[in-house]
Amino acid sequence: MEGIRIGVFICWCGTNIARIVDIEAVTKEAEDFPNVVISKNYKYLCSDPGQDLIIQDIRDHNLNRVVVAACSPNIHEKTFRKVLEKAEINGYFLEIVNIREQVSWVHDDGDEATRKATALIRAAVFRVKHHEALFKRTVNIIPTTLIIGGGISGINAALEIADAGRDVFLVEKKNKLGGIAANLDLSYPYMTNMGDMLDPLIDRVLSHLHITLFLGSEIKYILGYIGNFETTVYSGNNKQTEIVFGNVIIATGLKPFDPGNIEEYGYGKFPNVFTSLEFERILKSGKITTREGKDPGNITIIHCVGSRNERFHEYCSHTCCMTALKYAYQIKSELPYANVFDIYSDMRSFGKGCEEFYTKVSRKNVRFFLFNQENGLPKIVKGGDHSDCDMLVELDEKITGKKIGIPTDMVILMVGMEAHGDARDIAHLAGISTCKNNFFIEKHPKLDPVATSTDGVYIIGSCQGPKDISESIAQARAAAARILGVVSQGYVPVEPITAEVNEDICCGCKTCLKVCPYTAIRYDLVKKVSYVNEILCKGCGTCSSACSTGAIRCKHFTDKQILSQIEGLFSTSIEV
Amino acid sequence: MEFKPIIVSFLCNWCAYTGADLAGTSRMKYAPNIRIIRVMCSGRIDPVFVLKSFREGADGVLMCGCHPGDCHYHEGNYKCLRRFHLLQKYLLQMGIEKERLRLDWISASEGRQFMELVDEMVESLRKLGPFKIKEEMETFI
Repeated sequence: MEGIRIGVFICWCGTNIARIVDIEAVTKEAEDFPNVVISKNYKYLCSDPGQDLIIQDIRDHNLNRVVVAACSPNIHEKTFRKVLEKAEINGYFLEIVNIREQVSWVHDDGDEATRKATALIRAAVFRVKHHEALFKRTVNIIPTTLIIGGGISGINAALEIADAGRDVFLVEKKNKLGGIAANLDLSYPYMTNMGDMLDPLIDRVLSHLHITLFLGSEIKYILGYIGNFETTVYSGNNKQTEIVFGNVIIATGLKPFDPGNIEEYGYGKFPNVFTSLEFERILKSGKITTREGKDPGNITIIHCVGSRNERFHEYCSHTCCMTALKYAYQIKSELPYANVFDIYSDMRSFGKGCEEFYTKVSRKNVRFFLFNQENGLPKIVKGGDHSDCDMLVELDEKITGKKIGIPTDMVILMVGMEAHGDARDIAHLAGISTCKNNFFIEKHPKLDPVATSTDGVYIIGSCQGPKDISESIAQARAAAARILGVVSQGYVPVEPITAEVNEDICCGCKTCLKVCPYTAIRYDLVKKVSYVNEILCKGCGTCSSACSTGAIRCKHFTDKQILSQIEGLFSTSIEV
Repeated sequence: MEFKPIIVSFLCNWCAYTGADLAGTSRMKYAPNIRIIRVMCSGRIDPVFVLKSFREGADGVLMCGCHPGDCHYHEGNYKCLRRFHLLQKYLLQMGIEKERLRLDWISASEGRQFMELVDEMVESLRKLGPFKIKEEMETFI
């Protein structure tokens, strides 16, 4: 092929790649690959000077194809496409080689890693030669947003969008708004009354002109794509409402861990063992008493129930330590002569005002005991005959190294949070993924925390992982801002990677119509060939692989490109 | 000299490729014998890609997509599954051992499973030995 001028740029990523891969050797090797005009390396290609280096070389050497060997394309493909565009060549004349996540971070053997990186870069050089200029399409956005879940996250997102004058459909499974926050008495660390904060928000949702609220309702499917989604809302007594919307926010929250299957804690067996949410109800009732109506003299709080333990959940549930301190504070305020024992396995009081609150509570004569998770959980047993208390909490205390027993009238289990049982179904209907704990996966854990891999679908609050109220609200407003930005523009650019039919080759067998999951392929009765609706097509390429005559090309993943890439992997004798 | 099999692997962008990236971000270590090619969907894996890989010198081919029901494009992985079964029959008829072509499901959170899968496949190919069909064909001709 004439006129192809490729530049290869290899990133050290500081020491991340350079520590394992012999960058200089690969750079040198790449100089001799076909059509390569220059081959260079740099400490951080994604940095401003790194990007400028590529732009300058594109101009100086008249490059028309670029290979960047760096981190995963899922991280910086868009960054480098923009670099090409700044240098006034089409962004799709780029191929990224993943030599960090899939080479330097997963292999210890430097020689093998270098050999692999070289092969992958050569494959990219072979592939990029066949890249074509592609141009982004735009789709119009329906200005309405669907929010699934009416907890504190969903409510805040709904108000943020509705206050900007855009319509919102808010769908809540239960018959009331507020989610878990509605069950709380006070909030840490400033001891503000939850009802005082939440009730005005709920009132505003109920009366807002731009919010259509569906209580006791659910959705079972979502069809469409960013800007143009549709679904049916199923409400009580068989009412069905069909709605269309441009974006969707998932705010389905989480559920408290059920301590019933932790034998040590005797939940369900001892009447005065409560979960944290049950204790909130006691607090809300205005008086702390045992089930028998007595003032408890000794109260024990146990942390990490269902959390940070391989038997249950490995992760930290994030809010329980502070909530436990809140309880200790409230108990000491209401019952100054009661003994409060706090059994923790690490005190996690990070965040604004939280460590200060911990100090404040510890000065209230609350007794803290560190238990060693590795030596088993604390155990609740029946109190002895000579004890005034019904229960005895036994534990291995880590600091003193002693086994101790705490006579107790009341136990509060700080239950962790876990994903809803139907989280995977929700993920499936929205076309997003779940992590191993069934929390939804964001597009990028740091750079894009509320978007998902599906355009137009956002996740906020605890459905993404345990969060406290302020974090949930921050996410809600972030997603709302993202959506309002797109909605005010009225359209959104979408990937130009779609399929196309070569009418001269198409034999009209209609196989592609059957395999397309989006009914994006139609049959032209006059010409007797298939054609692709580019707005509906999402570029999966399944039709292209099914086409018996080779008439369908999947742009940016054409047969030619992928077959050349395979050739590139093996094209020299370096491979053993 | 020790035989180092080369595996060409086709991973779908949304689940398997992301799962492989997760193995990286988690700093898991696996055999360096694998060469990953990204496709948007496992449904895009044309049988020709597999045959081409063997022809160019791959000792094994690994195809991975999203778990059934989780496909980003709804059902591309089912199309992949169908093609896989046909392809494996075809390969057997050509005298290519069925261990040389594998299809597995890797979700975006299954970095560990991906690591184990690669190591396992490399090990089984090592036992099987190099892909020799080219040489065998030449003796026929």
